[in-house]
Amino acid sequence: MLWVDKYRPRTLDKIIVHEEIAQNLKKLVSEQDCPHLLFYGPPGSGKKTLIMALLKQMFGPGAEKVKLENKPWKIDAGSRTIELELTTLSSTHHIELNPSDAGFQDRYIIQEIIKDMAKIRPLDAKGKRSFKVLVLNQVDKLSKEAQHSLRRTMEKYSASCRLILCCNSSSRVTEAIRSRCLNMRVSAPTPEQIVKVLEFIGKKENLQLPPGFTARIAAQSNRSLRRAILSFETCRVQQYPFTANQAISPLDWEQYVSEIASDIMKEQSPKRLFLVRGKLYELLVNCIPPEIILKKLLSELLKKLDSELKHEVCHWAAYYEHKMRQGQKAIFHIEAFVAKFMSIYKSFLIATFG
Amino acid sequence: MSDIRKWFMKQHDKGNASAPAKPSAPPPEKPAEKPAQAVQENSGRRKTSKYFAKAAAADTSPKEKVKDPTANKRATARKTREVFLDDDDDVKPSPAKKLHKDEDDDFVLPNKTKKSTPAKPAKKLKNAVGLGVAKHPADDEDESEKEELDHKVVETPVKVGGRGKGGRESGVTAGGRGRGGGRGGFMNFSERKDPPHKGEKEVPEGAPDCLAGLTFVISGTLDSLEREEAEDLIKRHGGRVTGSVSKKTNYLLADEDVGGNKSKKAKELGTTFLTEDGLFDMIRKTMPVKVSPQKDLKKKIGGKAGSSQVKSSPQKHDTKDNQSSSLIKKSSVGSFDKRKSGDGNSLTWTEKYRPKVPNDIVGNQSIIKQLHDWLARWNEQFLQTGQKGKGKKQNDSGFKKAVLLSGSPGIGKSTTAKLVSQMLGFKTIEVNASDSRGKADGKILKGIGGSTSNCIKELVNNEALSYTKDWSKHPKSVLIMDEVDGMSAGDRGGVADLIASIKISKIPIICICNDRYSQKLKSLINYCLPLNFRKPTKQQMAKRLMQIASAEGLQVNEIALEELADRVNGDIRMALNQLQYMSFSQSILEYDDIKRRLLTSAKDEDISPFTAVDKLFGFNGGKLRMDERIDLSMSDPDLVPLIVQENYINYRPASIGKDENGVKRMNLLARVAESIADGDIVNVQIRRYRQWQLSQASTFASCILPAALMHGNREVFEPGERNYNRFGGWLGKNSTAGKNLRLLEDVHVHVLASQESNLDRETLRLDYLPLLLKQLTDPLRVLPKDVAVQKVVEFMDAYSLSQEHFDTIVELAKFQGHPNPMDGIQATVKAALTKAYKQGSSSRHVRVADMITLPGQKKAPKKRIAAMLEPDENGLPEENGDSLLEREEEEEEDSSEKKDADDEIDPDHNQKPQLDLRSDKSKGIQVELDLKINDKPNTKKTPASKPRGSASAGKGGSNSGKRRR
Repeated sequence: MLWVDKYRPRTLDKIIVHEEIAQNLKKLVSEQDCPHLLFYGPPGSGKKTLIMALLKQMFGPGAEKVKLENKPWKIDAGSRTIELELTTLSSTHHIELNPSDAGFQDRYIIQEIIKDMAKIRPLDAKGKRSFKVLVLNQVDKLSKEAQHSLRRTMEKYSASCRLILCCNSSSRVTEAIRSRCLNMRVSAPTPEQIVKVLEFIGKKENLQLPPGFTARIAAQSNRSLRRAILSFETCRVQQYPFTANQAISPLDWEQYVSEIASDIMKEQSPKRLFLVRGKLYELLVNCIPPEIILKKLLSELLKKLDSELKHEVCHWAAYYEHKMRQGQKAIFHIEAFVAKFMSIYKSFLIATFG
Repeated sequence: MSDIRKWFMKQHDKGNASAPAKPSAPPPEKPAEKPAQAVQENSGRRKTSKYFAKAAAADTSPKEKVKDPTANKRATARKTREVFLDDDDDVKPSPAKKLHKDEDDDFVLPNKTKKSTPAKPAKKLKNAVGLGVAKHPADDEDESEKEELDHKVVETPVKVGGRGKGGRESGVTAGGRGRGGGRGGFMNFSERKDPPHKGEKEVPEGAPDCLAGLTFVISGTLDSLEREEAEDLIKRHGGRVTGSVSKKTNYLLADEDVGGNKSKKAKELGTTFLTEDGLFDMIRKTMPVKVSPQKDLKKKIGGKAGSSQVKSSPQKHDTKDNQSSSLIKKSSVGSFDKRKSGDGNSLTWTEKYRPKVPNDIVGNQSIIKQLHDWLARWNEQFLQTGQKGKGKKQNDSGFKKAVLLSGSPGIGKSTTAKLVSQMLGFKTIEVNASDSRGKADGKILKGIGGSTSNCIKELVNNEALSYTKDWSKHPKSVLIMDEVDGMSAGDRGGVADLIASIKISKIPIICICNDRYSQKLKSLINYCLPLNFRKPTKQQMAKRLMQIASAEGLQVNEIALEELADRVNGDIRMALNQLQYMSFSQSILEYDDIKRRLLTSAKDEDISPFTAVDKLFGFNGGKLRMDERIDLSMSDPDLVPLIVQENYINYRPASIGKDENGVKRMNLLARVAESIADGDIVNVQIRRYRQWQLSQASTFASCILPAALMHGNREVFEPGERNYNRFGGWLGKNSTAGKNLRLLEDVHVHVLASQESNLDRETLRLDYLPLLLKQLTDPLRVLPKDVAVQKVVEFMDAYSLSQEHFDTIVELAKFQGHPNPMDGIQATVKAALTKAYKQGSSSRHVRVADMITLPGQKKAPKKRIAAMLEPDENGLPEENGDSLLEREEEEEEDSSEKKDADDEIDPDHNQKPQLDLRSDKSKGIQVELDLKINDKPNTKKTPASKPRGSASAGKGGSNSGKRRR
C-alpha cells in the first residue's frame, strides 16, 4: 500500500497538519446540530481526510462500512426520461458522489439524490443523529443550473440531510450556496508542515533521511502534502538509501508540459504550432484535465519569459481559461492560447532583436 | 580558373536566355527592378571589376559551343536553344550586362584569390554562394546538372547548399530558388513557395483576346503572381491553360527552372519559354493596338526564331473555326440555323438543339454504338428465333434483355435512348417518374385501361395486342424506363416488377438511372447490360456550345465556353440554359462574363465537407459572397468547423502579402484560433441550451472568419504528407480520450473499492499514477523475477487492481517521444506476472465488478450492487483483514494514547511487511474455500461468450460473496 494511504489519519484527533480545524470540527459535531459544510482549498491540503475523519467522528466506525455502487438514475424531465449512471460510495449514514461526472446533466442528479435521501429518513431512533450526510465532491465543477437547484433543496430538506461540499476553489461556487454553508478553508500545508509529516513517515518506515532531503521534496511539491508524500515514496522506490542530492523526478505529465513550453519558446511558426497541437492532444488523451495543462503551461512559460511580457501573457492565459470553461472542446482554447503566445512572443522578439 | 569562369558564364547566359520569348523591345520593368534590388542587397560588399563583366559577356558563346559535345545527347533541342541564346544576347545586351555587373561582384574576388591560393576553404564556400546567384536557367536542367557534376569533381563540395543560399541572395526569385537549386524536383509537388515578389507588380490589362489561340502551361513559382492568378490572367485574355506540355502548347510560363517534367518535355518539343514579365509585356503590348490584336500578335510571334509552333497554331485555330462553322451548317438539320433568336424564343435551347441524330450527341460515342448494336441485335436474339432460339440464347448468354444506362444528369442519356431507337425504327414508349410504376395488379384482365404498370405488363408480354392498336404501324417498340433509381415509396415493388417484366419481355427495355451503384438497383443490374455514360470533356462540350452559339448569333470565344463547360460539370443542359440566359442581356460574351455569371450560379452539387473547406480556404476563397460562404460552411455544420480547425494552420494567407519573418501570419493564426475558440463557445450554447438561432454566428466564428483570414495556398509541414485537408482530428482524439477516461474511471473505482484511499479521478491521474506505475513496473525491471512478480501481484491486490488496470496505467503514462514504461521488462517476466496473477485469481476476491460499460459491449445490468465492502468484524478476517485489523487497533491505540504512540508503533511497523505476507497467504486460502461454494453456480450462469467473461464471472462471485457477508 502506498504511504499516502497508509499514513492517512483516520480520526480528527490524529490529524497533524490542520490541527486547529480538526479540533473545531470536533467541537462542532459534539454539539448536536451540524450545519452544511463547504470545504475548499488547493489539492493535497487534506480536505478529504478531514471529511472522512469528521464522518467517523459523527457516526462512529459505521461510517467506514462503505459500499461502492454504480447507481442508475431514471429521471423524468418533461417529455423524456434521462438515464444516468453514477458511482456512489455510501454507508448507512452517508453518501458520497461526484455529480460533475454526469456532465451537463448534473442538475438532475442533484435534485434526484437529495429527494431520495429525504424520502428515507434514517431509522436510527436511538441514535442522536437523525440525518444523513451527502458528500458532494468537486462542487466547483457543477454547472450553474445544478448549483441553483442545489440551493433550494439544501433548505427544503435540511431536516433530514446535511451536505458536505468539497471543492478546490470557492469562487466557482455560487454565493447563494456559500452563504448557506459553513465555509471551511483548508489551506495548503506550509513546507515546514510537510517536512514534519515526511519525517514522521520516514521515522515510521525506518528510513535514513539525509539532511535537507525532505525539505527539497517539500519545496518541489507545490505545497501539496499528497504530492510530497507520493514523490517521497517515488524516491524511495527509485533509490534507497537516499543520497543528499538525489534527483526528485517530476511527474510524467509535468515533464511533458514543460517540454511543450520549451518547444514554444524555441520557435514560433505555424509548423511548431501544429507540433504543439499534437502534443497537447497527447496530454488530453492521457486524461490530464485541460485546465491543469493550461495552468502548468503558463507557469512553465513564465519561467522562461521576459518580465515585460509576463503580465500580458498571464492575462491571455486567464482569458482563454475562462473561455475554455464556457466551451467544450478544450484543445481549441489551449491552442488559441499557444497561438496567441507565439504571436506576442514573436513580435516581441523581432521588436527587440530585429 | 577557366573552368569556374565558364561555369559562371553559362549560368548568366542562361539567366538571360530564360526569357527568350520576350518581345524584342527591352522589357519595361525587369531591368529597372532587378538591379535595384541586387544593388540593395549586394551593396555591402561591392568590389567591382568591370573588366570581368565585359569579358564574361564576350566569352559566353564560344564557351558554350565548347561545352556542347558534353551534352551531345540532346543535340537537337540544344541547337534551337542556342539560336535563342545568341539572338538574345545580341538583342538586349543591356540587361545582361547589368546582371553581370551585379552578380559578378561576389565572385570576382574569390576568383582572383583562388588563382593565387587555391586552398582556402572559407572563401570557397563563399564562392559557392556567389555561384548560386546566377539566375537559374529556365531551360535546361539536365545540362546544368551535368555541369554541376563536372564541377563537383573539380570544385567545392558545398555546392547544393550554396546554391540555395545564393538564390535567396540574388533577390530575384528569392524563395523558390533555393529549392530549385536542389535538383530533385519532387519536393516541389508538395510545397510551392510564395511568389517572391507577390503583389509587387502591376498586372497589366490588355485587349480582351490578345492571347486567343495560345496555349500556356504554367510551371513552378512565378515571380509575382500566384499560379491561380496567372491562370486567371491568361484566361481573361483569351488564352488557354493546360496542365501538361504537349505539342499544342505555345508557351511554358516559368520564372525558374525547377527541372520538372514540364520543362523537360517542353525542351523536347521545343516549346517557347516565357517569364512572367514576358507575359505581362505580351498583354501590355496589345492594349493600345486594339485593331486585330490577334494578327499583330501572330506577326510578332512569327518573327521569332523557333516559334513555328506558335505560328501554326492560330492558323489551325482559324481553320478549326471555319470547320466548325461549316460543320454547323452541315450538321444542323437546317431548320434552326436560319432562325434568329427572336423567333426561337418559344423553345428553350435545350429543346431546340436537342440532338436529332446520334452523331450530334456530345461524347460517349462508343456507348451509343454499343447501344445501337444491342438494339439492332435484340430482335434476332430474342424474337425471331422463337422456340429454337433457346439454344442460340445459351450460346450468347452474355446478351441481356435490357440495358441500363447510367450517368450524371444532363449528359444525354434519355436523348441517346430515344435517338437510337428512332434510328432503328423502334417506337419508343417512355415511362418516367411521373407515372406510377408500382407493381402491376394481379388482375391483368383490366388490361391497359388500368394503371401504367399494368399497361407495361401488357405491353411487354403481349405481342398480339401491341400489334393491333395504335402502334400497329410501328411493328417494333421499345420501352424506355426513365429514372429507375427514382422508383420510391409510391412505386412499391417497382424494381422487382421491372425485373419480372424484363424476364418475360418481348420488347427491348432501356432503363435509365443516375446512380448505377444505388442500393435499389442492385438486383436490377444483374438483368441488364450496364452502359455507363461519362461526362463529355470540356473541349467536346465547348465545340458543341460554339455551334449553338453561332447558330443563335451569339459571339463567344472558345475559352469562355470551355470555362462554362468546366463549371457546369459536364451538364450540357445546364450549360445551354446558362448560355440562353446570358444571351438575353448581351450578344457578345467574354470569359469574364461567364466567370462572373457562374460564380453566382454554379451548379449545385453535393458538397462534401472537404470540398467546402477547400473552397472556403482556396485561393479564390476571398471572392466568395457571404451567403455562399454560409452555404458552404453550413453544408455540414458539424464537420466543416472541425476540418477547418484541423487545417487552418496549414494555409499561407494570401491576404497578408509579403511577410518577411512570419509575424503577420502568426498574428493571423492567433486571431483565427481565438475565433475558432469563440465558435466552440457558441456551439455549446447551441447544443446545451438549444439556441439554434445562433447557428449562423457559430459558423461565422468557426468557419467563415478563419477562412476569410487564412485563405490562400496550403502548405505541408511534414515531408511526404499529402497536400490535402486532413480530416478533423478532434473526433478521434476525443473518442480516445473518452475511452481512456472510462478506463481510468475503472481503475479509480477499483482503488476506491479497495478502501485504501478515497480520492477522485483527477488526483488519481495527476498524482497517483506516476507512483503506481513505478510500483508496478520498477520491481519487474530491477528485482529477480520471482520476487518481483510476487511483489507486484501483492501491490495489485492491495489496490484490487487487475491486469487490465495494469495495462490501463501503463497506457495512460505513455507519452509520445518518451520511453515506454514497459521498456526493459523482459517478456518472460511479463509472462510470469500474468501467470502469477492468474494463479492468484481463484483466491482473489474481486471486489469490484466491471461497472464501467465500455462501448461495443452490452450494458451491464442495472441496479446491481457491484461491490460492498464491510471492513467490520466479519469482513476483516476474509479480506486483507489482518493488516487492517492491526491498523485499526493501532489507531485505537493512537487515539487513546497519542503521546507515546510513536514509540510504541515503530516496532509494529517493522514487523508489518512480513506479517502481511503471511497473513495474505493464509487469507487467500481461506477465501478460496469460502468462495468455492458460492462461485460455482454463479460462474455457470455467466455466459462464456461475453467479452470480458472472467470479469463478469468474478462479478457474479463478488455479488454473492457480498451478500453472504
